[in-house]
Amino acid sequence: MEQNLLVEKLSLQAESFQEGFEALIKCNSLEEIAKNFGHLLRGNFILSSIHILHKLSIDAEWKYLSSQKDNDGIDQSLLSHNKQLSIKYLTDKKFSVIVVLPLSDSSYLGIFAGNKLDGSNWTDFDKITLQILLQVFSSAYNSFLNQKKEKQLIFELNEKILQLNNLIDADIELSRYDKQNVLFDLAIERVVSLTNASSAMIKIVSLSDASTEKQITFPSNSDLDFILNNQYKIEFGFEFNNKQYLFVLSEKETRKGVTAFSDLDKLLLQAIGRQVQASIENEYLLGQSLEKERMEKELNLAAAIQQRIIPKQLPQIDGYEIAGINIPSKEVGGDYYDCIDLGGGKFALIIADVAGKGISAALLVNTLNAALYSYLEFNLPLTDLADKLNKLIFKSSPSDKYITFFIAVLNSKTGELDAVNAGHNPIFLIRKNGDLEQIEAGGIGLGMLDFGIPYEGKKLNFENGEKLFLYTDGIPEAMNICEEEYSDEKMIEFLKTNSGKTPHDFIDLIVKDVRKHVGAAQQSDDITSLFIKRIK
Amino acid sequence: MSSDFNIISETHDKILVLRTDGYINNVAGEKILDEFSKSFTEDMNKVIMDLEKSKVVNSIGISYLIDIIEKLNERNGKLVFTNLDPTIDKTFNIMGIFQFAQKAESVEAALK
Repeated sequence: MEQNLLVEKLSLQAESFQEGFEALIKCNSLEEIAKNFGHLLRGNFILSSIHILHKLSIDAEWKYLSSQKDNDGIDQSLLSHNKQLSIKYLTDKKFSVIVVLPLSDSSYLGIFAGNKLDGSNWTDFDKITLQILLQVFSSAYNSFLNQKKEKQLIFELNEKILQLNNLIDADIELSRYDKQNVLFDLAIERVVSLTNASSAMIKIVSLSDASTEKQITFPSNSDLDFILNNQYKIEFGFEFNNKQYLFVLSEKETRKGVTAFSDLDKLLLQAIGRQVQASIENEYLLGQSLEKERMEKELNLAAAIQQRIIPKQLPQIDGYEIAGINIPSKEVGGDYYDCIDLGGGKFALIIADVAGKGISAALLVNTLNAALYSYLEFNLPLTDLADKLNKLIFKSSPSDKYITFFIAVLNSKTGELDAVNAGHNPIFLIRKNGDLEQIEAGGIGLGMLDFGIPYEGKKLNFENGEKLFLYTDGIPEAMNICEEEYSDEKMIEFLKTNSGKTPHDFIDLIVKDVRKHVGAAQQSDDITSLFIKRIK
Repeated sequence: MSSDFNIISETHDKILVLRTDGYINNVAGEKILDEFSKSFTEDMNKVIMDLEKSKVVNSIGISYLIDIIEKLNERNGKLVFTNLDPTIDKTFNIMGIFQFAQKAESVEAALK
């Protein structure tokens, strides 16, 4: 009967046990659970006081979680040191019950319950209720632990998602060209954040002299030696363009202190490092590409300048046939030829070759062309003309630039030829009997030196049936894929064989012959020639 | 382990404003939690955390911020982050911080 009454009473209590459990599982900390459990116990048993303690393991110190009165008079030695549940009911003491409850994580709950306010003893019903409530606490505590584990798991999963997302974002950011000036700062921040590193360093060393070109740390005031000599460090490095790039991370942080980096951290460091490497290489290639583009533009401009001063049409010389050609190479070489009507039946025959290529060579030829037109107006002796041109070109050009130059003034009525060769290839006068007379007299190339060394001139007679062949070294030095030159000998042989042709045909044929020799090789220099034949 | 992290706290009515400066890592997280515990009083109901001068935060630092959020939730308090770097904003989003805390453009906006 009594048992039936007990069961009936406990059944009525079931709802309140459930409510108690639900209240406990809503708590966010062990302290809160203990506080609410204390309320539950006091409410159920109308106790004078309740003190709840906790220790992390069998041998740990007890710590107070909740006390609803002073802690005075609490003798912790009364708490059982066994690993099992212990409930001691006391009489004639300050406390009526002392409990030690083992929990699922090997920690322990200790309870000191004061006397009932009505002074009564603990009944069987009370004892069973207490046991049930202790079970409620256990279950609520398990739920709390599971919630903590679940939160931790969610945190770790989110952390992994975050790492992946940050890695993708970092890769995108590091690859952007407008981030080049902050590339290393960005990389170091991202990798530190991804790996929870305590500090990091990026060092760039020149491989030629081992000097440190750049050094960045994060945080900025980090001790370099600390980072480099740390027992918990990982590194990644690569070399590019004669520089070594070194990434070092030091000490992985956790809530419990520092630890070694994981394999995942090493992969993350490598990923960021490789992205930086790709960015640097891309920047270099872009620079190369832009430089190439700039050079192509420069060459196009140089070619345009050169083509502007090459005569589109040569003047008619009464009693003579004349033809000329200029085939620029891919890289503008600065060749120039011209036939200028000086009036009175006199014509200046000019051929020139600027040492060097590109826009500077083209500009120098332009200068020569302009100066020539000016000086020729003054009817100077050719030696003086050459001297003046030399001084002008010397002043206006860099030390590595000079011009090989040949000028001959032809008096078309008399055939008198007045020539100066300033450092140019020997010009050939093909005599009626087939002999080749070389015109070399002159001096150094224009702009080479300005020591005041006078130029020498030469006077010749250009007779009927004779030819004058002007050329630049683009003809004898034209190379085939075996790097064999067309050669002076071959050119002279061709000259001897074909000088009977009309100037136009001769030019045409010599160009074909040179091209045949060159074959598939790229034309390395301008091909320029002027051919004049006296026909009357 | 070196740290150049600083934190300043100030009070506006019942609102605590914490301004961080530097990398929010383990050390910084502890400092933030300490400052919060020291400065947040029972009559306060809101905490504004200004991260304008903090551009980098790691997951350990975030775990400390979550601790603060949980403590505030126990007291029905609110946490508002301000001046978030876009990367940190995204990080907090992924970590689910904004399910339990808010963000605002500036401290002034958060104080309204």
